[in-house]
Amino acid sequence: MNAPVRNENLQLVSGNHAVAWGVKLVSPDVAPLYPITPQTPIFEKLVDFQSDNLLSTRLITPESEHSAMAAAIAASATGARVFTATSSQGLLLMHELLHYAAGARLPIVMFNVNRTPAAPWGFWPDQIDSLAQRDTGWVQLYSETPQESLDSTVQAFRIAEASNLPVMVNHDAFYVSHAVEPVSIPAADLVQSYVPKSVRELRLDTGLGHTIGAPIGQEGWNRSRRQMDAAMQTITGLTHEAGQEWEKLTGRSYGPLETYRTDGAEMVFITMGSMAGTAREAVDVLHQKGIKAGLIRVRLFRPLPIAELSTALAEIPRALVLDRNYSPGMGGVLHQELLAGLFGINNPPCIHGFLAGVGGVNVPVEALEKLATEYRNAEPDNNPIWVD
Amino acid sequence: MLDIVILGRGGQGAQTAGNQLARALFAQGLFVQTFSTYGGARRGTPVTSSLRADKNPVRLRCDITAANAMLCFDDSLLDPAFLALGADDALVVVNSAQSPDALPSLGNRRIITVDGRMIARRNNMGKVVNSALLGAFVASLGQPGIDTMCDVIKATAPAKITENIAACREAYALVADQLEGAA
Repeated sequence: MNAPVRNENLQLVSGNHAVAWGVKLVSPDVAPLYPITPQTPIFEKLVDFQSDNLLSTRLITPESEHSAMAAAIAASATGARVFTATSSQGLLLMHELLHYAAGARLPIVMFNVNRTPAAPWGFWPDQIDSLAQRDTGWVQLYSETPQESLDSTVQAFRIAEASNLPVMVNHDAFYVSHAVEPVSIPAADLVQSYVPKSVRELRLDTGLGHTIGAPIGQEGWNRSRRQMDAAMQTITGLTHEAGQEWEKLTGRSYGPLETYRTDGAEMVFITMGSMAGTAREAVDVLHQKGIKAGLIRVRLFRPLPIAELSTALAEIPRALVLDRNYSPGMGGVLHQELLAGLFGINNPPCIHGFLAGVGGVNVPVEALEKLATEYRNAEPDNNPIWVD
Repeated sequence: MLDIVILGRGGQGAQTAGNQLARALFAQGLFVQTFSTYGGARRGTPVTSSLRADKNPVRLRCDITAANAMLCFDDSLLDPAFLALGADDALVVVNSAQSPDALPSLGNRRIITVDGRMIARRNNMGKVVNSALLGAFVASLGQPGIDTMCDVIKATAPAKITENIAACREAYALVADQLEGAA
């Protein structure tokens, strides 16, 4: 966790407002937005910035999330830098066009606040909304803190524009979106030098002769996916590079994964998003009790950085995967992805999958301590386990 | 770590109070984290605001289940389920015209009542009780300082700044006297 330092110029802002700050500092050309709980404070803060003449971005307010994504695609296709934000039902309504945006290789940046999808109706932190979009071709990052949400929003533009792939950054409802915390807000010129605007070669322009998205033969369509595959293979490296360059400017480093106390660990928790904060505390408590636990936080989920995960897990005998999501008929998405991705590596860890916090139920330090104690010597079992 | 839970009805200002208290604790050098959870919340339904404060950056991202201190905006909301969110010896400040003996309690929780409605009315604040309750709460908790609390109210109250500060100071003095008398 990249905690801000007390002597920095810190402001108390919520995770959602931190995202809006990130957007303001990047200053994209266009932002089509539609409100939805618990994303709305991002939208509201951007409107505040605009009302105070602090934001030059053209805000568009269409009649639905589907239309917001349609507007984002159209604007991005002209070469504009585009941001949008949504959550849960809104993201699901966009689904059709998420494929379109990625297929058209448009570097749109979207912030999604992870929230339970209906039915039943709910507003609680759960990552199945974005995980259900994993095959659309969007890069996916998961943030743990308001500070990281600001930093990742800025970095997302750099990753998107270097790869011509859209990037979705996610944080959990309430635990991050509505958590008001000290956040270091970088200077605008620092951010501008980090994400300088460039002219996109392939764009809709009356002076050029391109079309985007026209009907194509089988081989052309196939080639488009091979090209996306090649672009996806650059993302892990670009995520490293974006994080390292950000560290030079702000002192806060980021990569595809973050590890905590993994050296010599007998077991690690593996998770994404806000749960990592509580897991970090659990790791320290377990060390005091003589259990060498560690944490691997997956920050980049799509593409899943398998090589990095294999290296991080090379010396670790046991992994407890904590999924705040549930894929019916299968289990936790991260658990299943890790089982598939790590299959066949040398000396693989014994992996246990836990459905922890599905629907936003509370997962305190004690619950993680209990899992670590109970599963310290357990036999391998690929079935997911619901955590009480 | 200082863990605080504030319970109010939607529209009463529990979330605002949580943010203002966080701001004051932050101004005094602590790292803070405050968050509210609501969903179908609307005016009148219960809303909670949670606050953690510590000398180190706060890493936890889960609910508070053993608060050191609690603030309840309305004695009709004071029930065993809310009290169970506190540690056994939690300090519980309740907006009530009644004495603590007349209210529900649990374990060794220390209940302090303050008539926030009366103080708000006296200071021309109508039904808006949050500044009065913050005054009572910081007097009970012993932190942050009342001047810091009033500075935050001055910087963040949307209207009636003088009245808000007066209500905060009056409730602070009332509870501080009460606690001194008891000691």
